[in-house]
Amino acid sequence: MVEALGRKLILVGQEVHDFASLLVSAFWSSLTPPFRLRETLQQLSFVAWESAPVVLLSVSFAAAVTIMEASFHMKIVVQNDSLVPGFAALLILRELGVVVTALLVTSRVGAGYAAEVGSMQITEQVEALKMLGIHPIRYLLVPRLYASILGLMILTVVANMVCIYVAMLVSQWSLGYSSGSFLMAMRAFVGLQDLLFSVIKAGVFGAVIPIYSIFFGLRCRAGAEGVGLATTSAVVATSVTIIILDFILSYIFSFFY
Amino acid sequence: MIRFDKVKKSFGPKEVLKGISFSVKKGEILFILGTSGTGKSVLLKNLVGLLRPTSGEIWIDGQEVSHLTEEEYLPVRRRCGMVFQHPALFDSLSVYENVAFGLRRHFSDLKESQIREKVMESLNLVHLNGIESKRPQEISYGMQKRVSLARTLAVGPEVLLFDEPTTGLDPITTNAINQLIQELSHKLQTTSIVVSHDMHCALDIADRVIVLDQGHIVEEGDVEHLKQSSHPLVRDFLQEALSAERA
Repeated sequence: MVEALGRKLILVGQEVHDFASLLVSAFWSSLTPPFRLRETLQQLSFVAWESAPVVLLSVSFAAAVTIMEASFHMKIVVQNDSLVPGFAALLILRELGVVVTALLVTSRVGAGYAAEVGSMQITEQVEALKMLGIHPIRYLLVPRLYASILGLMILTVVANMVCIYVAMLVSQWSLGYSSGSFLMAMRAFVGLQDLLFSVIKAGVFGAVIPIYSIFFGLRCRAGAEGVGLATTSAVVATSVTIIILDFILSYIFSFFY
Repeated sequence: MIRFDKVKKSFGPKEVLKGISFSVKKGEILFILGTSGTGKSVLLKNLVGLLRPTSGEIWIDGQEVSHLTEEEYLPVRRRCGMVFQHPALFDSLSVYENVAFGLRRHFSDLKESQIREKVMESLNLVHLNGIESKRPQEISYGMQKRVSLARTLAVGPEVLLFDEPTTGLDPITTNAINQLIQELSHKLQTTSIVVSHDMHCALDIADRVIVLDQGHIVEEGDVEHLKQSSHPLVRDFLQEALSAERA
């Protein structure tokens, strides 16, 4: 029993050590040349451009549901839904736009990265990189890290704008607000710092996605089951971390309002 | 040229290599034979720093390499090219780009025309022409193995390490690869270490053979010495090779 526990602790310690080494290596490699601009731009296209349709479609519906639900409950509780546009805009900018976008990108891009690197690992391509004098972290992680940070920031700004626009359309169609009154109500609640904080959150979440994906990909075991497990672990770990980080960042930002 | 001195390697509680010692001379073709899971590939990967020994020393031309850092290993890896069990070609790159990959990293001062020349030369050495623009998934498995060899040869290694080079190949391609190993050894004067479980190939082209069993060397010598061995595993391998020859 004690022996098994000790072995488990050693295993966990080894994993923590490996993850910390990857973080240090990623940090150092991302600040020193060579910077692989071509690969970074290719990855940026994969993260931002190719994810845009699914992200924008999903956040649009999320925004529509938010405003309709908010109106429904406010009418029941306070018999008045005049605060709905402001609250909805605040919720969209501070939470919905960035978190839903990050989780969608995790499931699409993070899963893709983990599966790709996992396949490379089990077919010895990662070892071939080392034999050809290429540091795998520098080659595989750094372009994806830059692309994911920048891509998620761009996607979050666009997603926020689309969300607000959809919320405005729904309030016009369903709640009877004109676009002018919606924007006026929104301005009373929302400031520029809300957009800024959501972009900072996006940058942090953008860094988490490739770091976990590459970490689990590089630890992938042989076989289809190994790749599946690496992908699932990467998506679960990233999603949970994003939600925890969202809480921590929201708490920190609350001191600046 | 290469010397393993009491090398041990463990993965957790499991000891895979249990104090292996042997040496390889320059220009020699050494076969390391053994059944699956006896630590043959682990042995090769320890030589080039893809794995690190738990204890013991590994010497290459008078330099002890097992304690080098990743950066310090770069020149060692340039001298020792490795052909993996899988072709390990990069799927997103063409055959040309795969072969040029190491050249661009190791010889950054080369012009594009010089890179092209070296790529074509390496593909010629493995008897592959006209497939430069194809992607790895568009060519056969045997061709992928040869492209992988061309990629290794392109950087001009002094030592060639082959990890199960003929596994999964048909007999004709297997013979072609074996002839290629022998041809390269003579033509380029490279030292070759071939990890395999194919005694038939070893009898054909090896200068010397080491037989590994459960982390120990159980037999070592030239082909004639091996044929006289009374070790049961070696006898089994010889029997298998004999049946393959008859078939």
